[in-house]
Amino acid sequence: MNGAQHILEAFHRHNINTVFGYPGGCIMPLYDALVDDVGVEHVLCRHEQACALSADGYARASGEIGVCIATSGPGATNLITGVANAYMDSIPMLVITGQVATSMIGTDAFQETDILGMTLGIVKHSYLVDDAEALPAIMEEAIQLAQSGRPGPVWIDIPKDVLLTEVATASPATAPTPDAHCPDITRALAMLRSARRPLLYSGGGVSLAQAEDSFRAFAETSGLPGVVTLKGIGNAGNHNPHNLGMLGMHGSRAANKAVEECDLLFVVGARLDDRATGKLDGFAPNAKMIHIDADAAEINKLREADLALRGDLNAILVAFIAALESESLAIADWQKQCQTWHTTGGFKAADNEEPMAPITGPAFIRQLSRIAPDDTVIACDVGQHQMWVAQHYEFDHPRRHLTSGGLGTMGFGLPAAIGAQFADRNSTVINVTGDGSFMMNAQELATIRRYKLPLKLIILDNQCLGMVRQQQELFYNNRESHINLDDNPDFVAMARAFDIPALHIDRTDQIRRGIETILAYDGPMLLHVAISREENVWPIVKPGGSNRDMIDETKRTSTANKENVA
Amino acid sequence: MNPQSQTAMPSYTLNCRMNQEAAALERLCQVVRVRGFRISRMSMEAAEDHLDIALTLSGSRPIGMLRSQLEKLHSVVDVALQEQAAVRSVSA
Repeated sequence: MNGAQHILEAFHRHNINTVFGYPGGCIMPLYDALVDDVGVEHVLCRHEQACALSADGYARASGEIGVCIATSGPGATNLITGVANAYMDSIPMLVITGQVATSMIGTDAFQETDILGMTLGIVKHSYLVDDAEALPAIMEEAIQLAQSGRPGPVWIDIPKDVLLTEVATASPATAPTPDAHCPDITRALAMLRSARRPLLYSGGGVSLAQAEDSFRAFAETSGLPGVVTLKGIGNAGNHNPHNLGMLGMHGSRAANKAVEECDLLFVVGARLDDRATGKLDGFAPNAKMIHIDADAAEINKLREADLALRGDLNAILVAFIAALESESLAIADWQKQCQTWHTTGGFKAADNEEPMAPITGPAFIRQLSRIAPDDTVIACDVGQHQMWVAQHYEFDHPRRHLTSGGLGTMGFGLPAAIGAQFADRNSTVINVTGDGSFMMNAQELATIRRYKLPLKLIILDNQCLGMVRQQQELFYNNRESHINLDDNPDFVAMARAFDIPALHIDRTDQIRRGIETILAYDGPMLLHVAISREENVWPIVKPGGSNRDMIDETKRTSTANKENVA
Repeated sequence: MNPQSQTAMPSYTLNCRMNQEAAALERLCQVVRVRGFRISRMSMEAAEDHLDIALTLSGSRPIGMLRSQLEKLHSVVDVALQEQAAVRSVSA
């Protein structure tokens, strides 16, 4: 068995049956081994960045490790954005690249890059395999490392000669040891009981720890009013009356108000990202903080915790549930106050009753949320449409909302949707994108067609880079700079060129039929939705500003708002 | 990050033991830089399977934050803070 065959053998042992890749010179031994292997489905994307982002989407939707493969040089460098995306959102990923032969490393050989050096800052760990005998142990360690603790991408760079060298029989797979550490919760429980206005603040760490069920049980048992980060959307389900939704820059006024007024912030699996907290000086100014996380480095990183609990989120939440079941929290007045804020300051988007009226992004997303099946996976891109989805689509589970939270990668949505569709070929997967983001990985329409994926694509087309335009309008004295995309291609014709049927709508009365048509179609279909160029995402906090200084649409021409303009 | 003022910058010495593997030292130095510290002195001794590295650092951020980030590195075996913060001044 040579090095390449060993890699596939390791995939089998770890039940890795889908990988995303693109062949080339130095990785050819692995592709040669794939010819004889029927147990691993290799998905050929049309750009290496899409390979990495598809692996990312696969991992997010399935909870399993995502795998991407590329050759040396440009193949490897093209992966970088996708791997950085996975790193920022702690997605378990295995990256395998070919490298020039060991004797050629350092000679500026054809398609040689120091990919190990280039990617040190965007991986959980990485290896350059210079000895074939080390490959089995590295494969085992890498697969385990990517999924353990706080997950992340692990990169293995393998010279071509190592792939061709005979290696000893593989060592048996070692199952990752689950981190079931549960610290003492006595003090935290006392803080929770003595708080008058405790608030639950949860993020992507909940699903990373596969603690969705215990989190939901904790939220229900405790009755804590809660806010979620972008990656925490869906944590509480859509039936929890105390869930105030997303906080932060484009969060609801209710969520940000609750953070401002709370006296105890109970943080679960969140890293206090600046888009969520706004200016830290003004963040939860009256609150003590309990920080629960798997990663010790997140504790006290941006704000000192009054109490930190590091360990397995599942174990910790279960311990709290047991304690709270015997004696519930006395927070009825605070719950009532938060519900009042939610009623008056939650996300709102009135359905336009005028059938001929232009389509607005929020109204479209609310219709989509009502019409799409409950288990639909939505893969977003980055920009205004991403925020409208976060605000107005009702997610019942965090794994159904795939969004590039940390890196904010335009072009994420389409390949991530492809990955999600491979994770479950029978699920409804919709890529909601904008015209700017769609063009970043539009070549993947060919991948959809090749594998006959029943993906649905929705482009909210405002013929500009809407989020940039919005911030230029609000914070740069409306000086528009290089955001115009009114020379976009005909997206309907473009989809059809890939043999994907497509439909165009631009009026309110066409929304329902448009959505129902693409969902009913037995195969991939694109819905092109023309929306206004001038539409903004509301509310908004000026970057670097405090969340208490949210700007609402009604205020944008007021004197108060002008003070917010740089 | 912006260059930091050299005045009144706390100074620390960290002793790190790392596994002997590709790019170990680069990985360490990169985390130090990205997390906002400067290396003013560094010594390293390589053994068969590990590296012992002593770093004298300065930076205005909490040293505990850097230490926890270094401890996260898979190739880092141990990080020890040799001495408590002392204020260093360019004029001193």
